[in-house]
Amino acid sequence: MKEVTERRLIYLFVILIVAFPILLDYSIPPARMKAGQSLYDKIDTLKVNDGEFAFVALDFGPGTQAENLPQSDSIVEHLFRKRIPVVLFSQYFLAEGFLKSLPESVAKRLNRETGENWEYGKDWVNIGYRPGSGILIQNLAKADKFIEVFKEDANGSSLSEFKLFKNSKGLESVKILTEFTGLVGVFDSYIQFFQKKNYVPIFGHGCTSITIPEAYIYLDSGQIDGLLEGLAGAAWYSHLLDKNYRKNNMEDIQITNTALGVSHLAIIFLIILGNIIMFVRRRRNNA
Amino acid sequence: MLSTWLLLGTVLGGIATIAIYSFLYKENIFYRFFEHLYIGIAAGFFPVLAFKNFLWPKILKPMFGYDVYNFPDGTVSHEPSSLYFLYIIPALFGLLYYTLYIKRFSWMLKLVIGFSLGAAAGLTFKGFFPEILPQITKSFRPLVVFENSEINWITSFENIFFIFTLLSVMYYFFFTIKREGRVANSFAYAGRWLMMICFGAFFGSTVMARMALLVERIKFLAHDWVDAIQTLIG
Repeated sequence: MKEVTERRLIYLFVILIVAFPILLDYSIPPARMKAGQSLYDKIDTLKVNDGEFAFVALDFGPGTQAENLPQSDSIVEHLFRKRIPVVLFSQYFLAEGFLKSLPESVAKRLNRETGENWEYGKDWVNIGYRPGSGILIQNLAKADKFIEVFKEDANGSSLSEFKLFKNSKGLESVKILTEFTGLVGVFDSYIQFFQKKNYVPIFGHGCTSITIPEAYIYLDSGQIDGLLEGLAGAAWYSHLLDKNYRKNNMEDIQITNTALGVSHLAIIFLIILGNIIMFVRRRRNNA
Repeated sequence: MLSTWLLLGTVLGGIATIAIYSFLYKENIFYRFFEHLYIGIAAGFFPVLAFKNFLWPKILKPMFGYDVYNFPDGTVSHEPSSLYFLYIIPALFGLLYYTLYIKRFSWMLKLVIGFSLGAAAGLTFKGFFPEILPQITKSFRPLVVFENSEINWITSFENIFFIFTLLSVMYYFFFTIKREGRVANSFAYAGRWLMMICFGAFFGSTVMARMALLVERIKFLAHDWVDAIQTLIG
């Protein structure tokens, strides 16, 4: 019974400590993330010609939206600000809602800030969820024309009608691929097949915290050009956008990142405390 | 109208979150109800989405010519093709999975499983090389790195540590010959310790991911949910 009470107290302590920065809107600047900075620099210096675009794969659902959504939000915002056309797609069925809502919310937010417009069909297109995994990605890499593989967008409109695809070709039209997921298998399918013999697009990846150690292998080997490591990576990217583009800082993600940092400190504290209590109890029992 | 649905969705989302977290206190009927609700929704969502986004628009619609549009001038968007009926062959082959329930024909199931395994193995084999080869290539690093004709000590140390870790971990899993001698055992032991540090990093990142989920939920409850309730109450 005592153990159950102790456990409940620990849960309560962690919840209260996490809620503290959120309720008080308290934030501290995020730590510099080298891999996130690298991705930012790649996008910031990216130049696209007519018919070229960024391919954004949102392969996540509500289960990992806490980390993947802020990452993809920041990247799509950066691409929109640079006026790089964005094609959104997913291999994960639970991403359907995000494919629609994410670019719309970013476009609205930027419209409020700058007064400029971002239009569907010209600035972004939502291909939707498509099954097929590695086979589909292989077909995409082999296709002479990108629109031959997908043919229609998520609403059933022909892709050839959209201005974005007017002069597009095959994989060469994809200047940058950014993929957000917590599913290692889905990420692997892009690493393995999203390339041609003479062409590999810039590859940015947003992973969940669980998959960070694995993602570093691909970063280290040069298979990906930049990485957003969980919420911390998203916070650093958002901080860069605050510094270089936004008129008003987006505090929201910095507060979330601060709450995450506070929770880490709480867990470290609990581990130390737990060990001290264990040693004291053991000594008392021996005595 | 839409905003009302969104508000109701947000309120229900908040109640569901509290219900699921109530398990931290103790097992209860409130938690059980929302757990079953979640499993039911997840199980029902995928078949509907597969039919709506794939089976109907990509297979059935073109098969029966429902994707052909008539224009006011009497012309049509395209001629329907009977070739789409060939889709029936893989569909029937896939349905052989269900012979599992008929003892007499259950052997047919092996055909489908064999095909699936073969296709998956082929795909994995093909993907292995573009994924792993660059990693192997990058593992060959110089132990002493020169920069502007001077030794870069930090990068050199990184590379030496990397090579030591790589070799010691590989040696730990080398069971072909018996490990004998102090040096060999110590080398393997170092590999084991380095792996344990790696597992610690994995565990730490798992904790970080779980905490990120908690942070997002608390943020949702503290802001979105409270705002939605206030709006609904007026």
